Amino acid sequence: MNIQNLKVDLAATTDLCRAGRHLGARRLSLLVVNASLMLSPVLAHAQAADIPRVAGGEVLQVQVQLIVGGQSIKNNSKGTLSVVGSSLQLEADGKKVLVDASSILDISTDKDSRQDITGAAHLAAEAIPYGGSRVLSLFSHQIDVLTVEFRDTNAAYHGAVFAMAKGNAAPFRKQLVALGAKTTAPPAGLAPEKK
Amino acid sequence: MGQQSSGEAKSLQKMSASSIQIEAPDPGDVPLPPEFRIAVYENLILQIEKTGKFQHVYRSGDKNAANVSDLVTLHTRARAFTEGSQKKREVTTVMGATSLTVNVRITDHVGQSIVDRDIKGKVVLMGENLGATYDFSKKVAKIVRDTF
Repeated sequence: MNIQNLKVDLAATTDLCRAGRHLGARRLSLLVVNASLMLSPVLAHAQAADIPRVAGGEVLQVQVQLIVGGQSIKNNSKGTLSVVGSSLQLEADGKKVLVDASSILDISTDKDSRQDITGAAHLAAEAIPYGGSRVLSLFSHQIDVLTVEFRDTNAAYHGAVFAMAKGNAAPFRKQLVALGAKTTAPPAGLAPEKK
Repeated sequence: MGQQSSGEAKSLQKMSASSIQIEAPDPGDVPLPPEFRIAVYENLILQIEKTGKFQHVYRSGDKNAANVSDLVTLHTRARAFTEGSQKKREVTTVMGATSLTVNVRITDHVGQSIVDRDIKGKVVLMGENLGATYDFSKKVAKIVRDTF
């Protein structure tokens, strides 16, 4: 989500408010609540779409959602994934998990899509009768999926899957491979997009 | 009459083991994406820990499992996989289901099969594609509860 798209969304909200002048006060308040519910995930998505930061080729950092495999960090937690020194670091819920690049057995990237409208707004939308809610399902965006497989100090096998904004997974893979992580995936980059 | 045959008694008798080791999923000939393979493995570990049937749930390769005398091992091998689409599911309600079928085999410490079944995990309407791995692992956890 870039600033241009955000401007479009805000303009749409303004149009909604203009339309609301012709309606009763109650309808207007409902519109404002609905618009804010619908926009909240869009804004969250805009924040999550930060490009990876690279400072002197050493630090790479991006906002992610841990899908599975965070050990002490709960699945679906949102946090910061970074490459610090020679390790991959996930920081979420006030906890940190570090994986040394040399212990990574495989690292791969893929693409998927996620709904922009989630949580309470999604549930509210589902209640729209006559299948009207299905229109809201069209609001989705592409994401990158980063999968990391590694062994701990006891040689126990672990895996972790992260979802992040589109375009962010490949730089992680590239940097970790440069730091000694193994990979079986071809170096060409991401797999073809899924529909 | 009223007495169970030895076969029936055996099927009702629960196995016991102090520890289980979960092996990494074998994709076999199925083009299972890495994120699905890992989600199957990690969800299995979580769900089997939740059953509370074992003192230890060891990961594949864990050196600590080597000295456990009554260790049972859970092997998984992909049989089929269809990746659907969350958007299609929610728009059409009848298309875009994601499903995976995985053979689940639990062996005792000498390698004899205790369980050997194909289990299907799917996400039909609501939720992300990887939800199929959660559905699968919940079903495996039920089998473990029924067996141990």
